Amino acid sequence: MTSAFSLSAGFQRVAFAAVAGLMAFGAQAQSLPAGYPADYQALIDAAKKEGVVTVYATTDSKAAAPLIKDFEALYGIKIEYNDINSTELYNRLIAESAAGTGTADVSWSSAPDLQVKLAADGLALAYASPEIPFLPKWAVMENMAYGTTYEPMAIIYNKSQVPAEDVPQTHKDLAKLLSTKAAAYKGKITAYDPERSGVGFLMMNRDVKADPASWDLFKAMGAADIKVYTSAGAMIEKVGSGEHSIAYNIFASYGLLSIKKNPNLVMVWPKDYTLIATRVAFIPAKAKHPAAGKLFLDYLLSKRGQAIIAKGELFSIRGDVEGKETAKAVDDLLGDKARPIPVSRELLETLEQSKRLDFLNQWQAAIKK
Amino acid sequence: MSSAVAGTSARRVVISITALFVLAPVLLITYQSFLTAPFFDPKAQLSLWAYEFVFSEPDFWRALGTTAMLAVGMTAISVPLGALLAFLMTRTDMPGRGGFEPLLLVPIFLSPIVLAFGYVVTIGPVGFITVWWKQYFGNPFWDIYSFTSLVVIAGLTHAPHVYLYASAALRSLPGDLEEAARVTGAKPGRVAMDVSLPMITPALLFSGVLILFLGFEVFGLPLILGDPQGLLVLSTYLYKLTNKLGVPSYQLMAVVVMVIIAVALPLVFVQRLLLRTAQRFIAVRGKGSRTNLVALRAWRWPAFLLIAGWFAGTVMLPMTGLVLRSFVSSWGLGINVLDVLTLDNYIELFDDSEVVSAIVNSVGIATIGGALSIGCYTMIALAQHRWPSAWVRFADYIVMLPRAMPGIVAGLAIFWVFLFTKPLTPLRTTLFAVWVAYTLVWLAYGLRLVQSALLQVAPELEEAARVTGASLGRAMRDVTIPLIKHGMLAAWLLIMLIFVREYSTAVYLLGPGTEVIGSLVVSRWGSGAVDIVTCLSCINVALISLGLMVTLRLGVKLHG
Repeated sequence: MTSAFSLSAGFQRVAFAAVAGLMAFGAQAQSLPAGYPADYQALIDAAKKEGVVTVYATTDSKAAAPLIKDFEALYGIKIEYNDINSTELYNRLIAESAAGTGTADVSWSSAPDLQVKLAADGLALAYASPEIPFLPKWAVMENMAYGTTYEPMAIIYNKSQVPAEDVPQTHKDLAKLLSTKAAAYKGKITAYDPERSGVGFLMMNRDVKADPASWDLFKAMGAADIKVYTSAGAMIEKVGSGEHSIAYNIFASYGLLSIKKNPNLVMVWPKDYTLIATRVAFIPAKAKHPAAGKLFLDYLLSKRGQAIIAKGELFSIRGDVEGKETAKAVDDLLGDKARPIPVSRELLETLEQSKRLDFLNQWQAAIKK
Repeated sequence: MSSAVAGTSARRVVISITALFVLAPVLLITYQSFLTAPFFDPKAQLSLWAYEFVFSEPDFWRALGTTAMLAVGMTAISVPLGALLAFLMTRTDMPGRGGFEPLLLVPIFLSPIVLAFGYVVTIGPVGFITVWWKQYFGNPFWDIYSFTSLVVIAGLTHAPHVYLYASAALRSLPGDLEEAARVTGAKPGRVAMDVSLPMITPALLFSGVLILFLGFEVFGLPLILGDPQGLLVLSTYLYKLTNKLGVPSYQLMAVVVMVIIAVALPLVFVQRLLLRTAQRFIAVRGKGSRTNLVALRAWRWPAFLLIAGWFAGTVMLPMTGLVLRSFVSSWGLGINVLDVLTLDNYIELFDDSEVVSAIVNSVGIATIGGALSIGCYTMIALAQHRWPSAWVRFADYIVMLPRAMPGIVAGLAIFWVFLFTKPLTPLRTTLFAVWVAYTLVWLAYGLRLVQSALLQVAPELEEAARVTGASLGRAMRDVTIPLIKHGMLAAWLLIMLIFVREYSTAVYLLGPGTEVIGSLVVSRWGSGAVDIVTCLSCINVALISLGLMVTLRLGVKLHG
C-alpha cells in the first residue's frame, strides 16, 4: 500500500518534471512572468543545472506542501525542504556558513529579528528580486531580506467563556476588561512569555512602539495573573478547552487553523492597531545553489506563489493578490490601523543585550502584583 | 601469553575509539564555555565572562535548585517502585504478569511532551476527570502544574527504566535462595527486601544514578507542566538564557553543561566506590539452577492491584487523554464530547506524506540502529570486563559525559563535530550521523545494561575456557556472550524504545528523508497542530505495543 503510493507519487513527480521541461523548452520566451528582465532565462537555466534547492524554513512542511509541489512542477527543480524552528535555523546557518561547507539556498523564518541579524552580519546574498515593485517598502531590507507574508497578530478568545459584552475589540478594551474584572479573569489570560520566547519578546516590544500605553495593558495582565507560554499550540489548545479564556498576540494563520476545528474559538484583530508579522526570506551568502535559491525566492514573492500562500491561509503580502487571506483584505478591514513589523535594521535594536534586559525588567515589574 | 597481549591491545583500541567519540563533543563544549563568542567566530576570545554571567543570574540558581530537587525526588520514587515492579513481575506468581510486561514499557517510548499533555487533558484544571470530580467531590486535591505533581509524574514515568535494569538482573538469579527464605516462613515482602533485591544491588545502583542523571536533563515534562507557572529547570533555563540575549549564546549553554558535568563526575566516583565489591553479587554460576517463583498466596491480589494502580496512573490516565483528544475536534468546558467526536484528525494525518516517512525512519533507526548500538555497547563492556586497569577507570568516567549534556546541546555539539571535521562532513545529513548521535547520547544507558548482565557472570566459567586453551576473544565469544544474551536482548529492546521517541539529539542532523516521529511531534506542537501530534502519538503507541507484544510472544525471549 505504502510503497505503491510512494511509487505512484514518484512517477507523478517524474511526469511533472518531464511536462514542465517540455513546456519550458517549447515556450521559452513567454514563460517569463511580466516585468522580468530578459536575461532571466539564463538564471532559470543555471538553476535547472543546479537541479535542487535546499530550503530551511519554520513554516510547517505540511503548510508549505502546495508551494513545493507547484514550484517543482513549474521548474522541474527539486526542493529539499527542512522544517525546523527559528533557533535551530539560526544555529545551522551560522555554523554552516563558518565551516565553509555550503549551506541552505533559502532561509525562510518567522523570526524576523534573527533573519535581519543574519543579513546584517553579512550572511545573506544581495539580490534584487524582480518582484520588488510589488512589495511594500518596509518588507524589503537592502535587497537582501524579503517579507513574504502579512499576518495579523490576533486576540483569540473562547466564546463559551467570554460573554459578548466582555469581548475586547481594542488593546484598551482588553486592559479595561482585565482591570475591572480582574477576579473573573484571574488566570484566564495567556500570552507568549517574552522572557522565554523570541516571538513573544518581539511582539511585546512592537506593542510598546505602536502604543506606549501597552505598559498599562501589561500591568492589567499581571493583575489578572497572566499565564505565559512558549508555544502557540499550548495557548490555543488551552483557550479552546476553557482552561484559559483569552490568548494575546497569536499569529492569525495559526488562529484560522484552530477556529476551523473548534467553533468556540473566535479571533479578533484589534481595531486600535494590529501588529502585522511577516515571514522573512533571504538567500544565504554561502548557498550551494544560489541560482536555484534566487528562483525560489522570486517564486515565493511572485503572484503565482503568493496566490498559493493566500490559499494556504498564510496571508499574502502582495497588494495584487485577491482572496480573504491577503494584505488587501486585511487592509480593507483595518484601514490605517495595520502596524507591520518592518524588515529592517531597526529590529537589531531588540537584540541588543542591555536594551533587551531593560525591557524584560520593565515587563517583570509591570506584571508583578 | 601472546593471545593475552593481543586481547589487551584489542581492549585498548576499543576504549580509545570510545574516548575519541565521547570526548570530541565534550571537549568542544568545554572550550566553548571559555570563549566570548561561538568558537568558529574569528572574534571569539578566551574569557571567563560566560561563567560570571551565568553564576550571577538568580534564575540559574533557582533552576539548579529545582533541578536537584526534581532529580532526587524522582529517583526516590522510581527506584523503589521500579524494583518492586520487577520483583513482582519476575519472581512471583502474581496474576496477569504476562499481559503487563509490554504495557509496563509504554512510558519509555512515549514522548514526555505528549505524556504531559495527556495528563493535562485528563487531570488538568479543566480535564475531564477534574470536571467530573468537581461535580461530585468539590475542588480537586491536586494541581497538575505544581512542583509536587511534576516530581510524582516524573518518578512514576521513570520507574520502567529501573524495572528494565532490575528485572534483567532478577531473571538471572537462581531461585534457591528465595525458596529457602520462603520455606522458613518469610513473607513475600520480606523475601523481596532481604533476599532478592539485595542480590541485584548493582543493577539498582546503576539505575539510580542514571535516573538521577536523567533528572538533570528532563525537558518535556517541565516544558508542558511547568510552562504556565514559569517553573524553571536547567534544561528549560537554557531556553530562557538563549532568549534573554536575543541570539543563542553557546558559551552560556556550555557553562550550564559544565555545571552538570561537575555534578556528574562525583556521582560516578560514588558509584564506583559502592561497586568495588561487585564480586559479591555474582549469581550466574557454572552450575545450572531451576527458578521457582515465590508464592504470594494472600498477597497475590494486593500485588496485582498495586501494579494495576501504577499502570492506571502512569499509562491509562495520560493515554486516555491522548486517545480522547485524537478523536475530537475540541474539548473542555461547555463541550459535550459526543458532539465533537470525529475521525478527521486521523484522515488528515495520513494526508501528510511526511508522517509515513517519519514512521518508517523511526522504526528503522530503532530496530536496526538499536541493534548496532547494542553491538557497540557490548564491545565496550567486554573491553572493560574483568580488566582491573586505569583504562577501565577512565572509561567509567567518560561514558557518562554525553548524558551530562541536555539532548539539545549534545545534538548541537555533535553537529559541530560532523560539520567541522572534514572527513565526516559528507556523512552529516545521513542516517549514519543520526545513529552516531543516538548511540553516543545513550551510551551510559545501554552500556550499564550490558554491564549489569556481565557482573553476574561468575569468573570460573571464563577461567575454565581460558585454562582449556581458549584465547580471550574465544572465551568471550563462546562463554561470556552466550551467558549474557538475555541481558543484551533486553538492552536492545530498551534502546529500541528510546530511539523511537528520541528527537532533540538529532535535530541538527535531520533533513528531508531522515525525519523521525519525535521531530515531527515537536515541530507540529510548536505551530499548534495539537490534533496531529496526539494522533501521531496514539499510532506510535499502538504500533510499538503491538511490536512488543509480538516480539515477546514469538522468538525473542526476554527471560530464559
